[in-house]
Amino acid sequence: MKAGPSQEEIRRHNLGTLLRHVHIGGSMSRAVLADRMGLNRSTILGLVSELASVGLVREELPRDTGRAGRPSLVVRPESDQVYVLSFDVGVERLTAARIGLGGVFLDRRETRVRPDRRDAGEVTEVLAGFARQMMDTARHGTNCVGVGAAVRGTVRRTDGLVRSASYIDWEDEEFGAGLTRRLDLGLPVAVGNEASLGALAEHLRGAGTGCQDLVYLHGDIGIGGGVITGGQLLGGDCGYGGEIGHMVVNPRGGRRCGCGARGCLEAEAGERALLEAAQRDPSATGREAVRAVIEAADRGDISARAALHDVGDWLGIGVANLVNILNPRTVIFGGTLREVFLGSAAQIRSRINSHALAASRENLRLRVGELGDNGVLIGAAELAFSTILAGPLEALARTTP
Amino acid sequence: MTATPILQLRGIDKSFGPVQVLHDVAFDVHPGEVTALVGDNGAGKSTLVKCIGGIHPIDGGTYRFEGEQVQVHSPRDAAAMGVEIVYQDLALCDNLDIVQNMFLGREKRRGLVLDDATMEEMAAKTLEGLSVRTVKSIRQQVSSLSGGQRQTVAIAKAVLWNSKVVILDEPTAALGVAQTAQVLELVRRLADNGLAVVLISHNMNDVFAVSDRIAALYLGRMAAQVRTSDVTHSQVVELITSGRSGDLGLAHTNGATA
Ligand SMILES: Nc1ncnc2c1ncn2[C@@H]1O[C@H](COP(=O)(O)OP(=O)(O)OP(=O)(O)O)[C@@H](O)[C@H]1O
Ligand SMILES: [Mg+2]
Ligand SMILES: [Zn+2]
Repeated sequence: MKAGPSQEEIRRHNLGTLLRHVHIGGSMSRAVLADRMGLNRSTILGLVSELASVGLVREELPRDTGRAGRPSLVVRPESDQVYVLSFDVGVERLTAARIGLGGVFLDRRETRVRPDRRDAGEVTEVLAGFARQMMDTARHGTNCVGVGAAVRGTVRRTDGLVRSASYIDWEDEEFGAGLTRRLDLGLPVAVGNEASLGALAEHLRGAGTGCQDLVYLHGDIGIGGGVITGGQLLGGDCGYGGEIGHMVVNPRGGRRCGCGARGCLEAEAGERALLEAAQRDPSATGREAVRAVIEAADRGDISARAALHDVGDWLGIGVANLVNILNPRTVIFGGTLREVFLGSAAQIRSRINSHALAASRENLRLRVGELGDNGVLIGAAELAFSTILAGPLEALARTTP
Repeated sequence: MTATPILQLRGIDKSFGPVQVLHDVAFDVHPGEVTALVGDNGAGKSTLVKCIGGIHPIDGGTYRFEGEQVQVHSPRDAAAMGVEIVYQDLALCDNLDIVQNMFLGREKRRGLVLDDATMEEMAAKTLEGLSVRTVKSIRQQVSSLSGGQRQTVAIAKAVLWNSKVVILDEPTAALGVAQTAQVLELVRRLADNGLAVVLISHNMNDVFAVSDRIAALYLGRMAAQVRTSDVTHSQVVELITSGRSGDLGLAHTNGATA
């Protein structure tokens, strides 16, 4: 039989939990922390002192002081001191950010990618350049405690191997290992699927805050997906889970998908399908193009209306399946699916209400993403923060120069 | 999803001279939810909310607020309970700035002088609390705002007073797609923060995107009040255009003379 956790393990766990509270919830008083963690005030005092002594948190007067009485101190994450690097390998652009503890954007860079710079080596070079620039502008004595990166493809959990990213033509690309070597920070780069990270971000800081069971659908040429169940990101056996865009909704005579199959949700309801049905150039994808279809439909354009009707149908059918299987509390539409949802909600809801089981759908909330284009970067940053939140002192000791 | 409605109307009748506009209307509004009020042009939606807001006296029926039967004789009575209405025509003053508009007629004073600092702070906090980031300065004249921003200011004005029920009469009717999206998100956020919101709209996508319940008026009668998760688009359209759909709706409708 395994012995119970040691004093040391309990303390590490409590330090991590406290740090997570201020990282996610922002500045809060020791009394609030004691309440949320179910610990007594003297234990909290000890934990706060320990985190403060290594520069992870600081105690200070709250910013906006009430009128009466002496305000109590709040514990604030040291956002300027402790940060991660976050990268987003998009189809059309590469984005990088330096994000401080507490989720504060300290720096952000991006560049459009030319089609000939999709090679993993070239992408790694661009990202390493961003990393250098952003770390050079960071104050002396500050600490980089993690690196996260998002790609639009299937990523092996154990080592960040990108099994396939069809939009940028990658197959079995050792992206995580390569970027780790190139950055040479002594920190392994954590790589994740972009929509899964978007789901994580909305769960922690966006439309899914406080919700333990959610499904996130991300529109961006294709359709990405991320599932949170019981507060955890669903990855499956190797980390490839949550590919909602390749849920088969129309295999008999449906449209051909980039993955090679027919009738995937992405093939039937992605940007290309929408644009083609609306009799527009299907290769001119993007938010403006999607918005133009919805505006045209609003003005009464028949083919734009029919296109939104069809796409809404397929999305509703897809979501109805997910509702029956996962019973999420919230389904979030992000990326360009935000616009599509608002423009075809009647159709989407009608399908869900017709196909999802009554009990599974009765408390279902449909929401749009709140984090916009930064969601993926925020999610990748949260992946990067996970080490320091698991064991703050140990992780920090490993990074201190 | 609360069981007890914050606002509960029963048997509401309202006539303008010889013309009866509302017949025996029942209407429930719940905190934390968006209730969409739908119906054809002239069905009586605006009239119903004006009765709720104390602009029109009701001829008959009961009005309960938080379980208590109340008499609402003026907009001031409604506001005192925490019921705020953003009317179809908005009623913002173009030549005043955002802060002045939000406090119009209810200015804060310190002694005899206006307490500008407090009003500015409250206005800024309210807009921030609603995550409104599109307005550049709260001292901007309302005439310089876009349609969506004007709507946002009108909504912020309604929630400024710790209101419990906010009623929006066609807030997206005059807006483009991007601005509609912003206003809908704001509407949803109000309810997610615990307010009871009533949204009047003719746009079924707006209704299905943000509402928790749908109340359909047909020729001045409440055809049905249903949960949004229980109906389809075509059922709601039928309720609007004929007052019934399958088992839902009015028992006997004899067309235009109902
Ligand atoms: N002050 C008034 N005096 C006389 N009749 C009125 C008055 N206000 C409204 N009505 C009439 O009451 C009926 C309901 O009007 P109301 O404005 O409530 O409709 P509505 O459902 O809001 O329509 P819309 O969708 O066009 O805004 C209409 O026939 C209208 O002409
Ligand atoms: Mg009206
Ligand atoms: Zn596919």
